[in-house]
Amino acid sequence: MRKITAILLAVLMVLSLAACGSKTESGDSDTIKIGWVGSLTGEQAAFGTCESQTLKLLVKQQNEAGGILGKQIEVICYDTKGDAQEAVNAAKRLVAQDKVCSIIGPNASGQAIAMQAVLNEYKVPDIATVATNEKVTVQEGGVLQPYNFRICFIDPQQGNIAASFIHDYLKMNEAAVLMNISDDYSQGLTKIFEKSFTDKGGKIVAEEAFTGGDTEFTAQLTKIKESGAKIIFMPNSYQEIINIAKQARALGIDATILGGDAFASDVLFDAIDVLDGSYVINHLSLNDPELEGFRQQYKDEYGQDAAVEMNAYMVYDSFLLWKAAVEKAGSADSQAITDAMTQVEVQGLTGNIKISAEDHNPIGKSGCVEQVTKDGYLFITKIS
Amino acid sequence: MGVEYYLQQLINGICLGGMYALMSVGYSLVYSIMNFSNFAHGGVIMVGAYVGFYALTSLGLPFGMAFIVCGFGSGLLAVIIERLVYNPLRRRHAPSLYFIISAMGASIFLENFVVATIGPTPRNYPTIFANSVVKIGNLAIGLDSLLMIVVSAVSLLILMFIIQKTKIGLAIRACSYNEKASTLMGINGDLIIFIIFLMGGVLAGFAGMLYGMRYIVKPTIGAVTNKSFVAAVFGGLGSLPGAIVGSLLLGVMEIFVASWKSNLRDLFVYALLIIVLIVRPSGLMGKVTEDKA
Repeated sequence: MRKITAILLAVLMVLSLAACGSKTESGDSDTIKIGWVGSLTGEQAAFGTCESQTLKLLVKQQNEAGGILGKQIEVICYDTKGDAQEAVNAAKRLVAQDKVCSIIGPNASGQAIAMQAVLNEYKVPDIATVATNEKVTVQEGGVLQPYNFRICFIDPQQGNIAASFIHDYLKMNEAAVLMNISDDYSQGLTKIFEKSFTDKGGKIVAEEAFTGGDTEFTAQLTKIKESGAKIIFMPNSYQEIINIAKQARALGIDATILGGDAFASDVLFDAIDVLDGSYVINHLSLNDPELEGFRQQYKDEYGQDAAVEMNAYMVYDSFLLWKAAVEKAGSADSQAITDAMTQVEVQGLTGNIKISAEDHNPIGKSGCVEQVTKDGYLFITKIS
Repeated sequence: MGVEYYLQQLINGICLGGMYALMSVGYSLVYSIMNFSNFAHGGVIMVGAYVGFYALTSLGLPFGMAFIVCGFGSGLLAVIIERLVYNPLRRRHAPSLYFIISAMGASIFLENFVVATIGPTPRNYPTIFANSVVKIGNLAIGLDSLLMIVVSAVSLLILMFIIQKTKIGLAIRACSYNEKASTLMGINGDLIIFIIFLMGGVLAGFAGMLYGMRYIVKPTIGAVTNKSFVAAVFGGLGSLPGAIVGSLLLGVMEIFVASWKSNLRDLFVYALLIIVLIVRPSGLMGKVTEDKA
C-alpha cells in the first residue's frame, strides 16, 4: 500500500510539473514579450543600434503609461551581425526560447528573407523596418509569407522613383549604375531601375558591380569615367557610397550621385566635401518638423550627439502598428496579432499606415528625394 | 578605351599596391624572425587609422604631425601586444601554432575593444587636400593618391636602408637567418623583436592613416589587411623585397581583374593565395621553405 501511495505521489508530482511547464508556455504571464533583431555590429551597426534604442525607449514610455492591455512590455534584442544565418539563429532564439509574441526588424532584406522559415514554423509575426526587397513578404511565384510584414516601401518603388527623378525631374537621358552584386537589395533596385529608366527612353551607359566588403572601387570608377555619365545611381549603403565618392572625386569624376534609402545617414555629413550635391531617395524627409518631437525625446534619452537615423522613425511606426494590432487582437497570442495586422490603421510618423492583406506591404507609400548639402538634407521633390 | 584608360588603371593599381606594401612588410618582418603570421597586425592598422582620425580632429594636429603621432601610436601598440601576448609564449618556447592563435585572439580583441569603446559608427577623415586632382591630359591623379605612393615609397626605402645598411639591420638579418645562433653570438634577441614590432607598428600606423584618407574608418577593417597578407605570401613571407614586389603586383593585377570583371576580384586574389601555397610555397622571393601558417 505504501508503495502504491509513493508511486501515485510521484506521478502526481510529475504531472504538476508538466502542468507548470505548459502554463508558462501558453504565455499567460504578466508581461508581453516583443523581440527585435538587427545589426548591432558590422556594416549596418549604426542603423541597428538606433533601431534597438528606439524600441527600448518606446517600450519604456509605453510601460510608464501603463503598458498594453494592462500588461508591461518586455523587449529582447539580438544582434544579427548583418549576417543572414545569424538572423535565423536570433529569430529562432526569440521564438523558441524567449517565446516572444512578435518580432520587429531586421533592417536588411537578406536577413528578413532568411528568417521566413522560422516565422512560418512558429507562427510568429515579424515587421521588417527597412527591408525593401519584394521577396520579404511575397516570395517568388507570388507566394505570400503569412507572418512577414513591413513598414517601408518596396524596392520597385525606389527603382521607379530613381528612374523618374533622373529622367523626368533632372531631364537626363544617360545614367551609370554601380551596384553590389552580393546584396539582394542592391540587385533588386538595379533591376527595376534599369527597366524603368530604359522604358522611359533613357540609356544605361555603364553598369559596374562590386562585392560586399569591398573598399576599393577605382577600377570600376575608371570605367564609369570612360562612359562619360553625368549621374551615377548607387543602390548601396552609405559606407560604400562614402568610399566610392572619395575615390571618384580623387579620380576627377564630378558626376552626381543618387542613392537609395540605404544611403541616408547622419554620417554622410562627415564626408560632405565629396558628397555635396548628391541625391538620396528616402522614406520620409528627416527635416520634417513633425519629427522633431520624437527626435528630441531620443536625444534626451541617449545624449544630444546620438544620431537619429531614418530607422528610428520606421521602428516608431512598426511599434505603433504592433501596438494597434495587439490591442485589436485583445491578447498577446501571435496568431491573433498576425490576423489583426491587416485590419488596423495607424497614423505614424511616416504617414498613414495600412497594411495590405494581399502583399503585406503598406498601401500607397510615397518616397521623397532629398539633396545632401552642407546645411543638411534639402527637400527636393516627392514622388509616388 | 585608349592608352590613358590603361594608364589610369595602372596608377590605381600602384596606389593600392603601395598601401598593401606598407601593411605586408609588417607581416613579413615578424615572420622572418618569429616564424608565425602576426594576424594582430590588421588590428594595429585599424587602431592606427583611428589614432590618425583623432589626431586630425580632436587634437586638431596638422597633417604631417598627425602622421607621426599615428605611426608612433601604432608602433607603441604593436610593442605592447608583443609584450603582453607573445612574450609569455616565447618564454615558454611555445610552438608557433600558439602564436598564431594568440594573434587571431588579439586581432578579434582589438576589433571588439574599438567597438566597445569608440563604437561601431564609421568615421570619415576630414579633407586634407580638398579633392585636388593633378591632371595630365585625360589622366587624373588625386593628390592623396600621389601622397600615398610617395609615403609608401619613402617609408619602404627607409626601412630597406635600416635593414641593409645599419648594424641593427644586420642583427635583424642575422636573427632571421638563425635566431639561436645569433643570440649565442651576443645579439640581444629581445631587443631585435622589440625593434621589428616597433618598425612594423609604425608602418602599420602610416598604412592606417593612408587607409583613412582613402576609405571610411570602422572597426572591421578586414578585407584590405587580409589582402595585404596574401600579398606578403605571394611575394614570399619573410622577405621584405618580396612583400613589396608582391604587394605592387597584387595591387595592379587586382585592379585589372576588377576592371575586367569586378565579381572575379576576390576569387582571383584568394585563388592566387592557394595556387602560390601549392606551387611555390616560398613565394616570389622567399627563401624559407618551411610551412607557412
